[in-house]
Amino acid sequence: MTAWRLGLVLAGFFAVLIVAPGWVAQQSPFDLDPARALQPPSAAHWFGTDDVGRDVFARVIHGTRITLGLVTASLLIATVIGGGLGIVAGFAGRWFDLAAGRFADMVQTFPPIIAGVMITGVLGPGAANLVLALAVIYVPTFFRIGRSAALAEAQLTYVEASRAAGFAEASILLRQVLPNVLPVLVLQFVIMFPLALQIEAALGFLGLGVVPPAPDWGAILEQGKNFILVAWWMSLWPGLFVLLSAAAMTLLGQGLREKFGR
Amino acid sequence: MAGFLARRLGAAAVAALLSSLAVFLLMRAVPGDIVGQMLGQSGGDRAAEEALRSFFGLDRPLIAQFGDWVGATLQGDLGRSWYQGRPVSLMVWEAFLVTLELAVATLLLATLIGVPLGVVAGIAQGTRLDGAIQSFNLVGLSAPVFWLGLMLLVGTSAALDWSPPFAWSGPGEDLADNISILILPVLSLAVLQAAAYSQFVRGLMIEELGKDYIRAGRAKGLTPAELYFKHALSNVMIPLVTFMGLILVQILGGVVVIESLFSLPGLGRLILAGIQGRDYPVVQGALFFVVIIATTINLVVDLLYGLLDPRLKP
Repeated sequence: MTAWRLGLVLAGFFAVLIVAPGWVAQQSPFDLDPARALQPPSAAHWFGTDDVGRDVFARVIHGTRITLGLVTASLLIATVIGGGLGIVAGFAGRWFDLAAGRFADMVQTFPPIIAGVMITGVLGPGAANLVLALAVIYVPTFFRIGRSAALAEAQLTYVEASRAAGFAEASILLRQVLPNVLPVLVLQFVIMFPLALQIEAALGFLGLGVVPPAPDWGAILEQGKNFILVAWWMSLWPGLFVLLSAAAMTLLGQGLREKFGR
Repeated sequence: MAGFLARRLGAAAVAALLSSLAVFLLMRAVPGDIVGQMLGQSGGDRAAEEALRSFFGLDRPLIAQFGDWVGATLQGDLGRSWYQGRPVSLMVWEAFLVTLELAVATLLLATLIGVPLGVVAGIAQGTRLDGAIQSFNLVGLSAPVFWLGLMLLVGTSAALDWSPPFAWSGPGEDLADNISILILPVLSLAVLQAAAYSQFVRGLMIEELGKDYIRAGRAKGLTPAELYFKHALSNVMIPLVTFMGLILVQILGGVVVIESLFSLPGLGRLILAGIQGRDYPVVQGALFFVVIIATTINLVVDLLYGLLDPRLKP
């Protein structure tokens, strides 16, 4: 249970950074000043400065909203589309189930990061393409989860009873099956979050993420790698923030799983 | 068994064909191809543009282009790189050997670290030792692989005044150089996979040790060593094999970033460079190869699963 609490504390910390980054980091993440380039951490610049003299602390703090926001958006899309299609496939079955299943197979033949590199590499950098890539990668995961949950649900007596009572299929699906499948999808969202975050950061690191000068963590790391031996602080902090937020979601996921009792 | 194999092979072939089609369409769906890159900003010479497009076969209907690729691929010909003129199959093979060395070394190291950690944590469940191992797992699973690589670069340079060489040499050329190039990439990849292993094995051990036969064995007077290593561990082996396949596929993906960071001429870099240069045959061929490898690993794992556990024989 201490793990769950640690997860909550970390998540709370990141929630503050997302809601009020300017309150935590007073300096601008964009103001450049070549006169103070590549300075090591100091009282004035806690995380040091980057190669064009921007405050790394401000960039990392303001980057929280961008990086975690992009991952959240991607996974939300994947949950709604993948989970929705999965529920329909599991509940309605037949040709739709078969076609969607083939599509999921196809996407999952690629290791996730390779699919990400392919999509963002071809479409070009940019937040929208990044979200699209991550969503495509994770749609099959949520499809399968939603499908198997709906499949299990559809066989329960209450569905049979509702059918016998004359409820329309759509109404059974929306009013009864969906609320029962939703917690499973939410849990899956939390479990997938750290994985999607790693891919988001990796794509940013490869220069396939958001367009500069947005202070996305992966993008800061990409910029820092060229100065790694002279300015380690450009890389240490954004990576540490990826680590901490991934750990927070992992801990929350473990806690939720225990609460769900599985 | 034969029926099972045939069904799995059929499904894998369909998935491979569909994914190749997806790659093919994706690359052609966006503006900017190799001709655009060759002519650059100066473009405007319509005749040259058309001549080049027809040279690369880009003026033909999509279905014909894809059909040709499938036909040639089935005969083992992946075409030639549009940039280097070398056969794609050769380029993919050379890059694969680099990636394979990286992946196998990583898998070995991760298994050697992760499995014992997981076994110990499972046996010592709830103790401080278990807590320490679980903390390692959490950090290992949460830290970006390429960031670990960066930190290792900084650490070795500061502490040992040593940095890996940047020019690649294969194990056949100069083994010492080869090892010093690979050591940091392997370490950074292995931490993540060791943590994954350790986490997984810990769960398996705890589940196994809670079973009745362990209690019976204990009552019968078996020593803990016999219980843990002879009985529990041998039952844990089966899911472990499955997991190894999963890890291998993950490593195959993870190398993309690590190869780019350490400038290793592996599959990941080949794919990345191919996409950036719009070198369609290279991208198409390399991705097809990756898909085949990943699918094969999954298939082998499924088959091994059946062999190791006779109850599952279809």
